[in-house]
Amino acid sequence: MDNARCKRVMKLKVLPASLREKNRYILFKIISEEPIEYSDLESAIWNTMLDFLGEYGTSKTSAWLIKDRWDKNNQTCIIRCNHLSVPALIASLGLINRLGDTRIAVKILKVSGTIKGCKANL
Amino acid sequence: MYFDMHVHSAFSEGESSLKEIATQAKILGYSGICFAEYFKSKEKMDEIKKEINQISKEAKIKIFLGFEARNANELKKLVKIRREYDVLLVRGYDLKLNRLAVETPEVDILTHPELNRKDSGLNHVLIKEAAKNNVAIELNFRNILINTKATRALIMKHIEQNIRLCKKYKAPVIICSGAISHWQLKDPKVLMSMGVMLGLELKEAKNSLSTIPQKIIDQIKERKSPKWIMPGVKEL
Repeated sequence: MDNARCKRVMKLKVLPASLREKNRYILFKIISEEPIEYSDLESAIWNTMLDFLGEYGTSKTSAWLIKDRWDKNNQTCIIRCNHLSVPALIASLGLINRLGDTRIAVKILKVSGTIKGCKANL
Repeated sequence: MYFDMHVHSAFSEGESSLKEIATQAKILGYSGICFAEYFKSKEKMDEIKKEINQISKEAKIKIFLGFEARNANELKKLVKIRREYDVLLVRGYDLKLNRLAVETPEVDILTHPELNRKDSGLNHVLIKEAAKNNVAIELNFRNILINTKATRALIMKHIEQNIRLCKKYKAPVIICSGAISHWQLKDPKVLMSMGVMLGLELKEAKNSLSTIPQKIIDQIKERKSPKWIMPGVKEL
């Protein structure tokens, strides 16, 4: 009972829509010689972004790779960022050339304000 | 309609065949690509032309043949036979060659003027000349892709400066992948985003992948008509 009460107290109130960050969801496809793993992709994206944009620049993008949306068969995934950082994020994705020994190319399929909008393109 | 006007195949310094590149370009959403090769002989040129025609039909993508001049002598040779191929590019790096390229109206694209230099390779005088002679200044993505850390930062600084001057003097800017392998071909949206990151407006970045290459392609058609005499002169 105490725990439940504690959780209720600790939970932050959701920001009103006008104060929330405006998100963009980028649906992309990996074209590669061999199928790739999610963990490799995730580390490659973070490393490239930190190299290209730096820690400060990466923090400004509010980037987050959405694990649930990784499609192993089609090799597609969705990455979230704020609406001002779309070019920075797409340019960073374009700078990923290899995952280990596998050479890859990134194809941007859709940029949308909702995940549902991205799904429509699949 | 997006075009990548600077791709090297195995005929010059590239690693991939024409077919591999054409197929990948089609997958990435390009309407056309231009193979920038080094001029060796007329026989070699005819051989490439034949292969390009065949692959263009197979891959259902427009393919243009361009030659990249690496020095002043090569540029002279290529200007003489200008009607026999589609696009004339000049490999920028040397100041004299950069100047010669922007002063020659037959030239379509000056590629990576900042290559291996400590400066941007262009100043306001050269950019004005480029605007006058309609020579597009290239933003080369491969140059950024293959370099890292301080070198990449320096290259990006020089490109940004060139873009700023091009915008001021209304010289055309073109964004190309400069790929030497089909894995280095990039999605048009990636190239556009890099353009935006380096100082172009979104509309200008789109134009540098669609409208400006389209103008070059229109010039190719004009040049091949029997009424064409030289840049700016044609029979009526």
